[in-house]
Formats: sequence, structure tokens, C-alpha cells
Amino acid sequence: MITLRNLQKLYPPDTLALDDCTVTIAPGEFVIVIGPSGSGKSTLLRCINRLIPPTSGQVIVDGLDVTAATGEQLRQARRAVGMIFQQFNLIKRASVIDNVLAGRLGYAHPIASLFGYFGADDRAIAEECLRQVNLLELADRRADTLSGGQQQRVAIARALAQRPKVILADEPTASLDPKLTRVIMDILKEINVGQGMTLVVSQHLIDVALAYGSRLIGLQSGRVVFDGPPQELTAAVIQQIYGEM
Amino acid sequence: MMKPKRPVLRFVCFLLVAALYAKFLWDTEVSVLRLERGLPWMADFIARMFPPDFSVLSSALRGALQTLEIAVVGTSLAALLALPLGFLSARNIAPPSVFYGMRGLLNLFRSIDTMVYALFFVAAVGLGPFPGVMAVVVYTTMSLAKLYSEAIEGIDTGPVEAITATGATRLQILRYGVTPQIIPLFISYILYRLETNIRAAAILGFVGAGGIGFYIQTYLRMMNYRAAACVLLVLIVMVMAVDFASSQIRKALV
Repeated sequence: MITLRNLQKLYPPDTLALDDCTVTIAPGEFVIVIGPSGSGKSTLLRCINRLIPPTSGQVIVDGLDVTAATGEQLRQARRAVGMIFQQFNLIKRASVIDNVLAGRLGYAHPIASLFGYFGADDRAIAEECLRQVNLLELADRRADTLSGGQQQRVAIARALAQRPKVILADEPTASLDPKLTRVIMDILKEINVGQGMTLVVSQHLIDVALAYGSRLIGLQSGRVVFDGPPQELTAAVIQQIYGEM
Repeated sequence: MMKPKRPVLRFVCFLLVAALYAKFLWDTEVSVLRLERGLPWMADFIARMFPPDFSVLSSALRGALQTLEIAVVGTSLAALLALPLGFLSARNIAPPSVFYGMRGLLNLFRSIDTMVYALFFVAAVGLGPFPGVMAVVVYTTMSLAKLYSEAIEGIDTGPVEAITATGATRLQILRYGVTPQIIPLFISYILYRLETNIRAAAILGFVGAGGIGFYIQTYLRMMNYRAAACVLLVLIVMVMAVDFASSQIRKALV
């Protein structure tokens, strides 16, 4: 589903955020990327939908070369990849349902949508996605009046509304308490198991990564230093990823 | 590490600034004594204003309405004209060459006050409210463009990133990621400019550019202080009413 080939990201003058990363992810995998702050987790995720353009290397998502795509092709590639963020990144002043509808922008009419017009099918999909995260009753509330956990669920509904093939989640629970962390990770797991969705999630909590991931990727200074099932993540490997603690 | 203190240098700097300030006071002939000698004249001036002569109320109201019209028309035209300029002078939107050029242009035009533009436009298109509107438009466009660009530069990039990730077009990103963040700020800036433009438009009449200022100046010249007092009262009420209305609108927006 996702192939990263010799991916490199250089922030001038000399910060190597990603250094020769090669990873292949099969459909239906629940991949959790771990590693210390600044190890390149966010950059790796953002290269997959090219929110960040890699310096060199190749990203292929569902058979499409994302690194070479331009214009309409790039938008279609992005549309196929939903993304959720640590800070939720909702449109604060807009209603919950309008936030979820934003997930349909890649399908909606490019001009009509500028005036807030979405087709009936787009609205139906948005409602369905909101129901899936159990927030349909809050559809008309302003997004910034919701709690953090609820806002992240709206963000998940927005990503689902893209009808994506892959969902990326960049530290989706880092702004939430342990209980909400479990709620959000459970929803992601349910999407993974129930819909066979491919997920790539960055997570700084190792116990959470171990509990949810079907496969873990350890990054250190932009290099892949571990790639395997959770059972293989030994104390020695953890120490290698995070250094002396 | 703290920088080593140099007490002598500090003292010399202090003396220099104090000496310069003393020169400024001397040059501007600031004098408590003269102010005190002027007190009876001030009292006389104010006493002559009472009671205000309300027989000129209708012309005062007409002048006030025209001042309001100049401010509203000028501010709204400027609010629109400033939109493209604001985006072109935002560091995170415009390419550097455009950005620096635009910022320079804005600062150039903003360094001249509305009143000076009014003199220019009165000379160009003749007396009346129209040169007043033009003066308000020119100054306000430049000033709003600067405020707009700062609002645009201050946006949270998170929602922009999220909308980009949905596969949205550039226009959709602007409409859904950028606009919702800046609209409340823009409206607040426009209202603020409207308030200051009411005050500016109130004295545009001094140079023949329309509005209530014409009546203030005329009655003062004719030494009809009681009529001038009536006009001033109307002006005060109007300014306070606009400030109140604008603060209510602003409150509703937040």
C-alpha cells in the first residue's frame, strides 16, 4: 500500500531529518512509528502525503508515485490519505459537521465548494462518518466548544470522510490524558480491524505502541533502526532507539 | 553571562538624552506661566459657548450625517481595496520581492495623514465630500492592508495543513484553512478604522472636504460660539454612538 524508497529529507543547511528510509507497508497494517523527539516521525508521516516534499527518494501510495505527482494528481493522492494531528487542527469557528465536510473538499466541486455548497452525497458521507465516531448529536456545535477528546474524534471523522486508503496520525494522543488516549487509539484500532484500513501512527508512548501496533518502526536521528512486530521490541532495542535513559 | 556594566558610559548617555529633551522643551516654548495667563481666556471662550444655540441643529445634523457618510463609504471602499494589498504584503503568502516592495509602498503612503490627502484631493477634484472620501480611502487602504497582512502572517498553520491534506485546491485551502481564521480579525480592524475615520472626517471640513467640520470652522470664524457648541455636541454624540455600536458588533464576533 505504501512504499518508501531511500527517503531523505534535508533541512538546509545540515539537518538530516530523514536519512535513507526504506519501508514497505502492506494493506491493513497498523504501523506505529516510535522514536525520540526530533527523530523524524512527523517528517516521515508528512512525506507520505507530501505535506513535506522529500529531498530525495520515492514515495508510492496505492501504486501512485506521490513524489512525482503534480497538480490534480497530487490532490488525488492526498485525498486518498487521511490525516489527523496532535493539535486536531479543526476550523475552530466552524460547526462540527462543516469540519467533517471539509474532508470532502477533494471530491466536491472546486468552485461551488468555495461558497459552502456540497452535494447531497458529500453531506450523507459526512454524517455517516460523524455517526461512526458517535458525535452526530453535536453536529451543529461550534468545533471549539468541544473537549479535546471530542475534537480529535471530529478530526478522525474528517479523515474518514475522505474515504481514504490510508490514515496517518501524527501523535494523535499527545494532547490528551491516558484515558482519552485509549479512547482515540481504540477508535483507530476499530477502523483498522473493521474496515481493513491501513494506519501509520506516530506515538511517543511505548506501552501504547506495544498495545496497539501490528508492526513498529523505530526511528533514531532520521534512520530506521527497528522494523518488526511488537514482540521483537526488546529492552535492548528500546535502549538503542532512545539512547541511555 | 551578564554584560559588564559601564556606569560612566550610562551616565553620559543619560546626560545627552536629558540635554536633548531640554532643547526640545525650549524650542517648543512650553511654558506653565503662559498657560496660567491663558486660563481666563479659556474660561471666557467656554463661557461664550453657553447656552448652545440649538437653532442651528438642523445644519449640525446635516453635517454630522455627511461626516458619517464620508467615513462609512471611505472605510468600506478601503476595506475592499486593502484585501489584495494585504495578501500581497504578507510574508507567508507573497514572494519576497513582492513582499518588500509592498511593505515599502504601504509605509510610504501611511506616513502621510488623511488631512494632507484631503488637501491634495480638494485641489484635484474641487470642494465637497468626494475629496474627503478619497482622502479616507487612500490612507485607510494602506493602513488596513498593513493590519490585514499582519493578521495573515499570524495564522495557525495547523488547519491549513489539515485542509491541504484533504486534497483541496489552493482556493479551497484559502477559503477553508485561512479565511475562517482571519475574518473576525479583519472585521475588528475595519470597525476600529471606522471609529478613527469618523474623527478624521469630522475635521475634513476645515479644508473644504465636506462634513461637520465645515460648520465648526464657520461658526468659530464668525465667533458664533453658541452655534459652534451645538455642532460640537452633535459631533460628540455621534462619535460616542458609533464607538458604542462598533464595540457591540465586535463583542458579538468573538
